[in-house]
Amino acid sequence: MTYLLLFIPFAILILINLFPREKRTEPAFWLGLAVLVFQAGAVVASQFGYWGTILTSQLESVFGFNLQLYKMGHVLVMASALAGATALLVARATLKNKRDRFNFVGLLLVSLIGINGIAMVTDIFTLYIFIEVTALATFILIMLNREQAAFEGAFKYLIMSVVATVLMLAAVSLFILIGGGTSFLDVKMAVISDPLAYTALLLFLCGLFIKGGMVPFHGWLPDAYSSAPTAVSVWLAGIVTKASGIYALIRLMVIFGGLEPLQNIMLTVGAASIVIGALAALGQKELKRLLAYSSISQMGYIVIALGSGTVLGIFAALFHFFNHTLFKATLFANVAAVEEQTGTQEMEKLGGLAQKMPITGLTSAIASLSTAGLPPLSGFWSKLLIIIALWISGHYFFAAVAVLASVVTLAYFLLLQRQAFFGLVPAALKEVREAGPILLIPAVFLSLLIVVIGLVFPFMIQMVLR
Amino acid sequence: MILEFSFRFDQFSIFIASSIAIFTLLIGLYALIFMKGNRASGQFLVYFFLNCFFAIGAVLANNLILLLFFWESLLLTMFGMIMVGGRESYKTAIKAFIIIGITDLCMMVGIALTGQLAGTFTMSAISVSTAGLGGFAFIMLMIGALAKAGAMPFHTWIPDAASDAPLPFMALIPGALEKLIGIYFLTRVSLELFKIEPASWASLLLMIVGAVTIIFAVLMALIQKDFKKLLSYHAISQVGYMVLGIGTALPVGIIGGLFHMINNALYKSCLFLTGGAVEKEAGTTDLTKLGGLAWQMPVTFACFVVAALSISGVPPFNGFFSKELVYDGALERGWIFYAVAVAGSFFTAASFLKLGHAAFLGRSDTKSKEAPWPMLLPMVVIAAACIIFGVYNTLPIDRIIAPILGSHALEGHKFSGLPANMFLVLMTLIVLAGAVLNHLYGVKKSGKAIGAADHIHYAPVMHSLYDRAEKKIFDPYEIGMKLANVAARILYGIDRFVDWFYEVFTVRIVLLFTSLIKWAHSGNISTYVIWSLVGSIAVLVMAWR
Amino acid sequence: MMLLSVLLILLVLISLWAVMTPLLLRAAIGLAATSALLTMIMYQLGAPLAAVFELSVCAGLISVVFVSVVSLTHRLPLKEFMKRRQSRIKRFIFLPLLLVAALAIMLTIKLPFQLQLPAADKISDVRVMLWNIRRIDLFGQIMALLAGVYGVLILFRGRKTDGD
Repeated sequence: MTYLLLFIPFAILILINLFPREKRTEPAFWLGLAVLVFQAGAVVASQFGYWGTILTSQLESVFGFNLQLYKMGHVLVMASALAGATALLVARATLKNKRDRFNFVGLLLVSLIGINGIAMVTDIFTLYIFIEVTALATFILIMLNREQAAFEGAFKYLIMSVVATVLMLAAVSLFILIGGGTSFLDVKMAVISDPLAYTALLLFLCGLFIKGGMVPFHGWLPDAYSSAPTAVSVWLAGIVTKASGIYALIRLMVIFGGLEPLQNIMLTVGAASIVIGALAALGQKELKRLLAYSSISQMGYIVIALGSGTVLGIFAALFHFFNHTLFKATLFANVAAVEEQTGTQEMEKLGGLAQKMPITGLTSAIASLSTAGLPPLSGFWSKLLIIIALWISGHYFFAAVAVLASVVTLAYFLLLQRQAFFGLVPAALKEVREAGPILLIPAVFLSLLIVVIGLVFPFMIQMVLR
Repeated sequence: MILEFSFRFDQFSIFIASSIAIFTLLIGLYALIFMKGNRASGQFLVYFFLNCFFAIGAVLANNLILLLFFWESLLLTMFGMIMVGGRESYKTAIKAFIIIGITDLCMMVGIALTGQLAGTFTMSAISVSTAGLGGFAFIMLMIGALAKAGAMPFHTWIPDAASDAPLPFMALIPGALEKLIGIYFLTRVSLELFKIEPASWASLLLMIVGAVTIIFAVLMALIQKDFKKLLSYHAISQVGYMVLGIGTALPVGIIGGLFHMINNALYKSCLFLTGGAVEKEAGTTDLTKLGGLAWQMPVTFACFVVAALSISGVPPFNGFFSKELVYDGALERGWIFYAVAVAGSFFTAASFLKLGHAAFLGRSDTKSKEAPWPMLLPMVVIAAACIIFGVYNTLPIDRIIAPILGSHALEGHKFSGLPANMFLVLMTLIVLAGAVLNHLYGVKKSGKAIGAADHIHYAPVMHSLYDRAEKKIFDPYEIGMKLANVAARILYGIDRFVDWFYEVFTVRIVLLFTSLIKWAHSGNISTYVIWSLVGSIAVLVMAWR
Repeated sequence: MMLLSVLLILLVLISLWAVMTPLLLRAAIGLAATSALLTMIMYQLGAPLAAVFELSVCAGLISVVFVSVVSLTHRLPLKEFMKRRQSRIKRFIFLPLLLVAALAIMLTIKLPFQLQLPAADKISDVRVMLWNIRRIDLFGQIMALLAGVYGVLILFRGRKTDGD
């Protein structure tokens, strides 16, 4: 039954291509949305026991290494459902070309298969394959509108991905050479016993760093995020980068988290990403570029939490992973709304939009504050848990870096808010109106989730941590 | 350490508390009339009675923390009462607030130290020596008590308050109440918490403070040309006798000091009340404009005469007996203290001769009538008490004050009745006669009553000293304010620096890094690939180190 | 061992060429060649599975996507191109240094390079392995192929419609 998550998108992908060419855009959109709803429903249902016997037992056998964390795949599946639905709605509102909209759905389904695959792998080679599937679909998604800048962005992603592929494949071949198998258990045995397998693991991690856009492996990320169509940016920032890079890292750190050199690497790379991403975001003039650097910084938080080497750290990383999907998807949906209504995403040309677009302004404020980690929004709790995890494990310096960088986070989001949503309305934007409901629904829904999770979390934490 | 907020009702505290209540009642009655028509009279009376409550609380408290609470509350009511005096009074109010506030802070430090050293904050259980840290604690507590009592050098707000604050405030607070609780606490500290010995440095220090206060304040009083201001300097000067008496640490001195405390409260409040009556009826307290009031306000005049004779130490009024006891103690500790105390007595008598002469005798310029009875009643009652405490001094000394020390401390001596040492009485009488002669000489020389002290004022050395004192050069508050100004500038500089550090420096540094990072992100894919390779190598090195 | 060393050195050289060449098309070819070499190395090291996948995805599909992207770009004017070529040296001025540093680090770490080729029985029949053990991987590979085809179709068709 687990394979349903792979086969249903595949079946829908074939189905939408069977429609006649002129009439297939609308059914494709709705069927795509249905797939995502099914996916979210599967996760929710498994939590409440319906389907539980089938799905959960399957998932348990899949994630059976550490029973405390066997639900981590659910987080990824749920996050991909939310980000995917947002991306679909944004694409419906912003992609003008009918064929582009159709192709968007198709490619989204392909990469969704990849992500679902990543959520349930038990084998490092399978992991690599699904990462590759996701990446391939994403290259093409970035180039969807066939603009020069998008080609450049996709090209950079492609080049860096190839480097990552080489690293990961070399690692996989070394694993096969040494251990004879590529399942996580085999790999674990090999890494513990053989230094060469350990090196291979490090190469694989470097590949994942490239995929996840960690400093200093991040060169492709700002260009790819900012040059892609906004709908693709939602998908890319909301889930793809994180699934193919960060989630895989979490998955591996669950197995290898006890190795101290790995922890040090995670801490260093995480801290570098946090600081450099945040500082770079401070200097950006375009909304999407700013959000791209902000993504790097937030991914840094997840990775630094993995470096704590504790169960709490891994939980905090997963929680921040999910939260990041919520607020980054909201923010990109807001950017789509702004770009749709004003025709620009350069902050200097914007201003006072909170008066003209109140709902967009409000949701972006909620998402920004959640990113910066202000209570009682959901982002606060995950950041707090990350800092607590670091503190408990004795990494005081990195905890301090995490705290200080969240001040910078607040700084660049305040800059964004002030330049785009507050202040005087420029003369060119006098006639701007609020975006349509298609763009507002995901933003409102996600920011509601941010607030509700933030409010409910203190009551749930005991239950979750038990 | 468990804080138990207990009260103590012994001979001493009950005596002081009931005195406070009686004085508040009498002066409150007076204030009702005096403040009539004043916009802020309601506010003033609220502070006035709250002040009584806090003062009684401070006296009865048996726990230093509790005492501190009441003590600090007094600061607030005092500030409020000076504030309602008028438009210009806020300066004085702030001055008083700062002086008393700082000394209260010292006291807080002293209390914390004492509690630490003694292991408890319950006053009746504390016994600490003045050696080492205990000495510091003692000085801190003493500063608090002396500042409350108005001894030098914490006195400078009192003359300012005399011209700004409402008169009932002057009669009650610096005149009576603060002396009562200040000296009360001083007695508790020096005799109970620390049990100072006659030969100790603490005793000597107290006596020096007392002597200095007596002589300098009275010299300032001598040249004042304002009724209230002159009285206010005496309010300071008289504290000196009490501190001197208690500082001797001898039974006779302590009893003299405590007796002088209650006597001072009586005649000083009476004097202030007569001053208030004069102000209310004649419209001014400037001595150059007053004169001949004796016939227009006979009752007020009579009360003034009684109180003035008391404060000058003329037998058989109460001030005479208490001063004799203090002299006795001071002489035993050293002739210099006695000499200073007697000199103080001489100038006190001289200044009151001048005051009485200038205000009530001589030619009348103004048409005034007698004050209404609610104002007269307190004066008369207090003046009568002055006479009773003098003639029947057995009553207060044997019944109230002597039991405070306990019978074993008295060693069978009896301090009531006529003074034992007739030499001292003789000296006192000679000094008083000298004061009268001095007054007559001064009046004759300058030609008018107000100039009776001019020959002292303009004496060669005194002249320059007085000039400087009038310019407030010796005022520690003014010195402190100048220092504070310098400190404020330095702090302002530091503040600017901190501000610059946060608002300019940090931002610049962050922006510098931001622009560096932006510059590094050139968009060149080969650069990015090289970064990744460097990163991979770094990861390998980190893991294999 | 000899063959492996030659292949490894070739791999480094060709990948350097791919990175340094000023022409995108040559870079794409270099990439394909690198992938092909890697496939051979993998097969040599006894990882036929990874080799198959590398060949199909990297050498095949990614190169195709790559070439198709390149074909959509404009060609630089000759003057500009020569200028880029000149400045290329400057951009890679640190590359030799990096290589030397990497070599030095590799030598100092002293990785235990005692490669032993696995026994022959471990390399089971590729077809059996693919279908019986690696079914899910095969599915993933099909998906990757699908995505690649999708991409090529979209991009080339897009080029055609752009011309309309």
